[in-house]
Amino acid sequence: MIRNLRELYQYRGLLLSLTQRELKARYRNSVLGFLWTFLNPTLQMVVYSLLFTVYMRQKIESYTYFVFVGLLPWIWFSTSLLAGASSISDRRDLLTKVRFPAQVLPATIIATNLINYLLSLPLMVLLGVFQGRYPTWHIVAFPVVLLTQLCVTMALVYLVSALNVTFRDLQQIIGNLLTMWFFVTPVFYMANTIPPEFHTLLVLGNPMAVMTTSYQAIFYEHRLPDPGPLALWMAISLVLLWVATNIFERRREEFAEFV
Amino acid sequence: MTIAIASPDAIVIRNVVKRFKKNTIRREYTTLKSEIVRWLRGKRDADGKSMIEALRGVDLVVPRGKTVGVIGRNGSGKSTLLKLITGIYSPTSGTIDIHGRISALLDLGAGFHPDFSGRENILINGIILGMSRTEIRDRMDEIIAFSELGEFIDEPVRTYSSGMYMRLAFSVATHVDPDILIIDEILAVGDEHFGKKSLAKMTEFKRAGKTIVIVTHDLGTLERWCDLGAWIDAGRIREFGPPAEVIRSYRRAVALAEQQGMVMDAPALAPGGGALPSLVPPARPALSLGLDSVLLTRRDGTAVESVDTEDGLELRVAFTAREAVADLGFGVELKRADGTVAYRTNTFVEGVPLNVEAAGSGTVRLLIDRLGLTAGAYSFSVTVCGKEGRKLETSESTCSFQVRSGVADEGVTRPPHRWVVEGAGARVSPVRTVGA
Repeated sequence: MIRNLRELYQYRGLLLSLTQRELKARYRNSVLGFLWTFLNPTLQMVVYSLLFTVYMRQKIESYTYFVFVGLLPWIWFSTSLLAGASSISDRRDLLTKVRFPAQVLPATIIATNLINYLLSLPLMVLLGVFQGRYPTWHIVAFPVVLLTQLCVTMALVYLVSALNVTFRDLQQIIGNLLTMWFFVTPVFYMANTIPPEFHTLLVLGNPMAVMTTSYQAIFYEHRLPDPGPLALWMAISLVLLWVATNIFERRREEFAEFV
Repeated sequence: MTIAIASPDAIVIRNVVKRFKKNTIRREYTTLKSEIVRWLRGKRDADGKSMIEALRGVDLVVPRGKTVGVIGRNGSGKSTLLKLITGIYSPTSGTIDIHGRISALLDLGAGFHPDFSGRENILINGIILGMSRTEIRDRMDEIIAFSELGEFIDEPVRTYSSGMYMRLAFSVATHVDPDILIIDEILAVGDEHFGKKSLAKMTEFKRAGKTIVIVTHDLGTLERWCDLGAWIDAGRIREFGPPAEVIRSYRRAVALAEQQGMVMDAPALAPGGGALPSLVPPARPALSLGLDSVLLTRRDGTAVESVDTEDGLELRVAFTAREAVADLGFGVELKRADGTVAYRTNTFVEGVPLNVEAAGSGTVRLLIDRLGLTAGAYSFSVTVCGKEGRKLETSESTCSFQVRSGVADEGVTRPPHRWVVEGAGARVSPVRTVGA
């Protein structure tokens, strides 16, 4: 794992350039440019707001803001995982033609989506301000949550990107899994509405539930996130990352032959 | 891979074997579904059966500063070897030591993005090829100048013609400044002018003492360019040495295989290895006369690789006789690259008496006042025969060369001619005379 990360640092120039290019490619040739990134969660949020404040009344104050707080990191996670799955298997041109550090490819996807997330944060804060929810000093905990999510995402993306080289149907499976995962993650409802008998399983067993509740704690409830679940998943994600990078490293030499 | 500059050898390959799983070559992806189905049916392929051996134990040492040309028929393992040297593949067994910074031109334009401008693509492609950002920025102007794209450099790459695309890619690739350069058949880039520039760049690399490994099917390139030739056949190095000798053996083996009607399958799949037939060393008694070299020169004696249709040429054949030989005959065959015989003659049919009276060396020169061939690639091959046509030696040391032409005429030869138009008040002015 250390070697993998060190190499990633060593190739930071490449990572940086590829990420830059991904971002530029996304915003070039479109009038709205960056707004497109924001439009997507906004539309989703409008749908959920309509659904849960008009049709099925949820008693959550500033509901649109609440949804946004959880939805943005979820989009970072889900798009990374979905695009990351094919990040190795789609880059035949690079892997078979030049000596190329393969781990840069999934990392680029994660970095690009992370930057998208960070760029949409000011807009989220602005929305909160409109609804009377000013950011408080609790945002000091934000980097910790962000880092934990980064570790979880990296571990999973490394794992699926390596496996997808051999098992090409994995990316389809992941697409479906993510839809299910989204609904068991408390993004558009509050975690305390989950029946207590499933609470432990659904909240502690789901890293993204831990992340969203932590983000909601910081930005919505204005308190520090529960350190227990966060520490638990930090530890799990480190172990997972270690396993994932090992698997990735072991399979890496085969990438050029299999893609 | 270890990196140490002190070693006199740039690349040391020891007993490298490379096997591929067969399904990766057939490009059938395994899916979770297919894997489960296979497991349910209780089928587990025996591992050894589904393997393909692309390289079967390669030993190769490339000395620093040398240019090595790798030849061999399709599927013999040339590209696999290059990819192993580059580090794209890792060997199944054996070791590869690389001493120095390596750059591979296996494919031009790796990672080019069509929507980005040439300038932006230079940056990303350069980084992929192993340059740092500052290095690229320093060389940016040089790269752009070399590509000759002018104002197009700031246009998206998707608007480029394929020639422009290749020129840009080649410019980046050659500005990496590696110690070891790996090239897979890409010297023929762009038009005539750019082709010359790329060749000049390659010469510069050679002069700068870089190690170059090049895979080629053009035996002329090998002969002109390389210090050493490596013939790889059915996953093994068949011969490694001076290019002329390697080419000769290779040509003979291919000719022999064709004679025997050998099926030219992919060697890695063929039963029995699929190697070309081994050459029986010519079972002739000590030759009484042998060819030393065949050289193509201008009329003033300087060596040439490219001539104009209207130019004259001289073919110098140096030979060494070990004893007196009577009734000697030299035959010359001039072939176009597509195999068409443009001209064939020998000293017998032309009634040139030749007798070597004592042991020693000599030269036979064929003087051509005006070549008169249309533009294209040609080669001379020379044979020497004894009495009654008994061959003393068939020298396949062909001399490849290019014919240039300022006129876009077609065919094989251009007879000396001029145009005259008469009557009906027609007038051609000025009368253009070609080759007169």
